[in-house]
Amino acid sequence: MTLQTELTEKAVASRRKLLKWGLLGVGAAVLATVPKPLMAQTSSSLTLTFNANDIGILNFALLLEELESAFYVAAVKSGKVRDPQEREYLRVLGIHEATHVTFLRKVLGSNVIFQTNDLSFRRSGLNALLKDRDTILKTAVSLEDTGVHAYNGAGTLLTDPTYILAAGSIVSVEARHAAGVRALLKRPVTELDRERSVSNANLDPSINPLKGRAYDELYTPKQIVQIVGSLKLINNPINGALVS
Amino acid sequence: MAIFSNFAVNQATNPMQSHFQFSSTKSLEQVSTRTLSLIASAAFFLLFLVLFSFISLFTTPITPAYAQTATLTPQQVVEYALTLEKLEDDFYRRAVRATQNGGLKNAPKLAKDVIANYGRDEAQHVVDLSAVLTSLGGNPAAITIPANPNYTAIKGRNPFANIKDFLLALQYVEDLGVSAYKGQVQNLQASGNDTILAGALEIHTIEARHAAGIRYLRQELLDADIRPWIRRANEVVYNENKKGFPIDFADAAFDGFSTRDEVLALVGPILNPTSTQRSGERSSPSALEGSITQEDCPAGTTLELVSGGYICKP
Repeated sequence: MTLQTELTEKAVASRRKLLKWGLLGVGAAVLATVPKPLMAQTSSSLTLTFNANDIGILNFALLLEELESAFYVAAVKSGKVRDPQEREYLRVLGIHEATHVTFLRKVLGSNVIFQTNDLSFRRSGLNALLKDRDTILKTAVSLEDTGVHAYNGAGTLLTDPTYILAAGSIVSVEARHAAGVRALLKRPVTELDRERSVSNANLDPSINPLKGRAYDELYTPKQIVQIVGSLKLINNPINGALVS
Repeated sequence: MAIFSNFAVNQATNPMQSHFQFSSTKSLEQVSTRTLSLIASAAFFLLFLVLFSFISLFTTPITPAYAQTATLTPQQVVEYALTLEKLEDDFYRRAVRATQNGGLKNAPKLAKDVIANYGRDEAQHVVDLSAVLTSLGGNPAAITIPANPNYTAIKGRNPFANIKDFLLALQYVEDLGVSAYKGQVQNLQASGNDTILAGALEIHTIEARHAAGIRYLRQELLDADIRPWIRRANEVVYNENKKGFPIDFADAAFDGFSTRDEVLALVGPILNPTSTQRSGERSSPSALEGSITQEDCPAGTTLELVSGGYICKP
């Protein structure tokens, strides 16, 4: 087999994987609808390109963990949360997320596509999430719920057995976080349909055989990028086959 | 290993058993039943020892992938999951009854709400997994649990007698559920059946939310030294800190997993037909008395013992 045919076969295989997720046809159109501020920031911050493979997925998970980790550090530092139990929860959650960051960077090794200081945080976006105790705890719930949906969505995309085990061992901890902060807010530990960022109609039916309050649905990486984008936390443009 | 010795010790020093003994006529028969059950507990413990020394041999890294052992088909995974969900569902139903006119009647409203809400989720899992099993060509009615599971095996006493015992037993059950689903992700990934994998993932984190909610309640209501996440291996009944994986399961930031054999060995005493139920919570008099026999299986199915659990195989 020549290198050319091998490459072509690989391209066909990866296109098949994309077709399976119904992404190929809309790829180009979606790229054009990425929020303007993201596209405009090309000069100052690194563009994050996530490929549609295990490495791309782990890098994408790393981005989410970095955002969570940075948020908790800022949340504790803000001094807005004074209750000792709430402060302890935020501090410990931050430690867990930082541990996930370290772990993913170790697993990715030289395949990591960005360093922590490549992320360009938006001060205004972060400040808005740190307004007061309620906002901080509500943001924590949103981030953790999103993390659960994101890791679940990654589950059917990952091909390496060790990676899916690792993702599984992380996602249930994210679910524990979500439930813990929800409990602090006296909210139910599971997510009501109306609380979800992605409505039933917009869920990908091929990866969501079960829906409703008793389930944590799978979001596609593209849906996760939209949710994360709405938080206006970072300036870095995001693209790549995984999220398009 | 300490967790399993705790498990066995709890059974051996079962206060319900002593109570049972004091409140009834001390017939020779009862004493010998008690002795037998102690011997059975000891035998189970020895079985755990042997089983886990074997498992630890096999959990050393199998490069390049780190395998969770025991290959199961999607149908086998769903049958196994449905067994656990039916057991959880039954556990919550008994708890709901205990909040109405039993040992949990005076439980705080926060706890009663949790029992009702989480129980509803588990009932939903039973309904939906049954449909999934049917879609795979299986028979959900053939997946049975005893009419009166021996829940005293969890803590060595009736878990529905008071809120303190109940929440700890429930924490064990929910955390084990999380580890059980996690233990099947590699099997489902390898099967290529993304629908079943997706379904398992969708349930897996709900069990984790439940476990965390129960843990929060124990901290909040009972001032227990516990958090929504797992800080120490002795907070759970399964082997949380498996070695030989590139994932540091001992760290609270990573949850451990259990294989089907491990889980069935742990729930074996609950499904165990030889142990007589001593709990006062017997909901309905049954000829089964905590055991299942061929008679419990629907027509055309055969009772089969799978590592401590029972299924009626079509």
